[in-house]
Formats: sequence, C-alpha cells, structure tokens
Amino acid sequence: MKNIADHLFDILENSAKAGASEVQVKISFNKKKFFCQIIDSGPGIEIADVIDPFVTTRKTRRVGLGLPLLKKTAEDTLGYLKIIRLNKKGGTSLEFLINMFHIDAKPFGDLARVFMDVLIAWPQMNLKLIIPNNSIDNVILDSEKIKEELNLEAIYSSQIQNFIYETVKKELIEKGIDDHFSIEPKRKNS
Amino acid sequence: MKNLEELKKIRDRVRKDLELRTGKHPIKIVVCLGTCGIAAGARETMNTFVDLIAENNRSDIIVTTSGCAGFCEQEPMIQVYVEDKEPVVYGKVDLQAAEEIFEKHILNGEIVEKYLFSKGK
Repeated sequence: MKNIADHLFDILENSAKAGASEVQVKISFNKKKFFCQIIDSGPGIEIADVIDPFVTTRKTRRVGLGLPLLKKTAEDTLGYLKIIRLNKKGGTSLEFLINMFHIDAKPFGDLARVFMDVLIAWPQMNLKLIIPNNSIDNVILDSEKIKEELNLEAIYSSQIQNFIYETVKKELIEKGIDDHFSIEPKRKNS
Repeated sequence: MKNLEELKKIRDRVRKDLELRTGKHPIKIVVCLGTCGIAAGARETMNTFVDLIAENNRSDIIVTTSGCAGFCEQEPMIQVYVEDKEPVVYGKVDLQAAEEIFEKHILNGEIVEKYLFSKGK
C-alpha cells in the first residue's frame, strides 16, 4: 500500500465484502498521532486469526494480507492495530494509530477521496464519517442522509462528487491532515 | 451532517442528468478491489473510469466492483460487460490503460489486445 488512504479503503472493503450494511469511521489527529476507528455491522470475525496472513476464508487465493499490512504500517511507527468483536451477533470494531512524525510513517494520501470511492464502489453500504471536535462527535458525511436527498448514482455527476469531496477535504485540512505527513508547521496564508 | 441544504441545491441543478442515469446500463465496467488490486492502484483505475464517464456524459455506463479474482499479479484488473457481447477481462490496467480501454473498447467497441487477459466466461 502506498499510503494510509489505500489502507483505509482496503479495511472498508473488508466491511463491504462481509456484507456490512453500515460502517462508521471516526478519525482524529492530535499531536501528530493519527487515530482511526472503524465500526461495522458485519458478521464479525475470529479475532485470534485475522492478523495471521495465512488465515482467510476466500477460495481464490490462500493468503489474506490486508490486516497484516496495516498492522505493519502502524507498528512501524510505534502505533498499533486493535480489533475487537463487539458482540456475539456480530459487528467489529477496528482501530489503529499511526505516529505521523515517525521516520517510517507512510503519507496520508488523499483521504477525502477514499470516502467518495467507498460511495462509488459499495453504494449499498451506509457510510458515516465522524471527526470529533472537543469531544463532540461531528458527523461530516452520512450516506444515509445523502440517499434521502438523491439517488446515489448521482455520484457520477462531477458536481455532486466535487461537493461531497470538498466538504470532507475541508474538514480534514481543518484538523491539520494533508495528503502528505501533516508534520509541517501551519503556514500563514500567503 | 451540515451542508445538506447546499447538496439539495446542486441536486436540483443537475436533476436532468440524474434522471437519465436511473435507467438501464448496457455497459458495465467491473473493477477488482481486493487487497491486491488496491495495493496495485485499482482505486485510481476506478476513478479514471468514473471521471471519463462523467466527461463523456454517458449515462448508459456504470462502474461496479468485485473482489480478488485470484490473479493478483495481473492487478489492477477490470472486466468489461457490454450487452449481448462476451465479457472481456483486462489486466494491469493503470491510468493510461484505462484511458485507452475506455476510448477504444467502451466508446468504439474494439478490444485492446495489449491489456487483454481473457475473453468469454
């Protein structure tokens, strides 16, 4: 994976493939630590196994690399990856932390684009993006709300696409998340 | 979610285009989005197609996704389904390849041998 955006998209693909009808992504960025929590309503996974690359349920190939790769990306920066099964019925919470100041950190990539891409790739899955501000959960994007207003196919309209993209992008930049490492001091507008 | 009002305004502006899109889609482009595909850049490939569809104003084409097909070394892979024609699978579809396939295959119906992986079911 080239960047954190790719990792995030890959994790969301897991939720989509597991048939989750809803997935909630929570992002925060404090003291150059990027924290991301993903909660989905999928059937849940066997926690002990998932980080082992040789455990997979698919039949097309015998290795599953998504989670091991993310674990490596996080731990390379002295961060972590944690997966919790929420209850017996299903639902999984996955969280990871990446220290962006660490020399081995990967760049963010275009995170805002990831959320657009999820809407295009898996329109059946409801996606909610939350960026907490002073411990208040700010809902930045809620595909269920969007669907109330328009058919999700509208996302093929570049105007709709730009609007959603810019909405998310603005919030990320406000939190100090850029496409790179977000470690440069804030520049004054020049 | 803030900004929903603004979204409604844009929706009303592009309403005509949207109505066109809710019909059938005789042409379908399937992008494989397994871990292997994503690592190989399939997201860019998918975005290229979505942008090209918007640019060319083609409401009859839709992009959907699938998982890993088991030929990870060929990623990013796509399948092209055109109504009444055999499905075509392409491998190593990067940005340039996507543009070429869109122009030649999707718009003009000629298969691009250079990136061809397999034909038929």
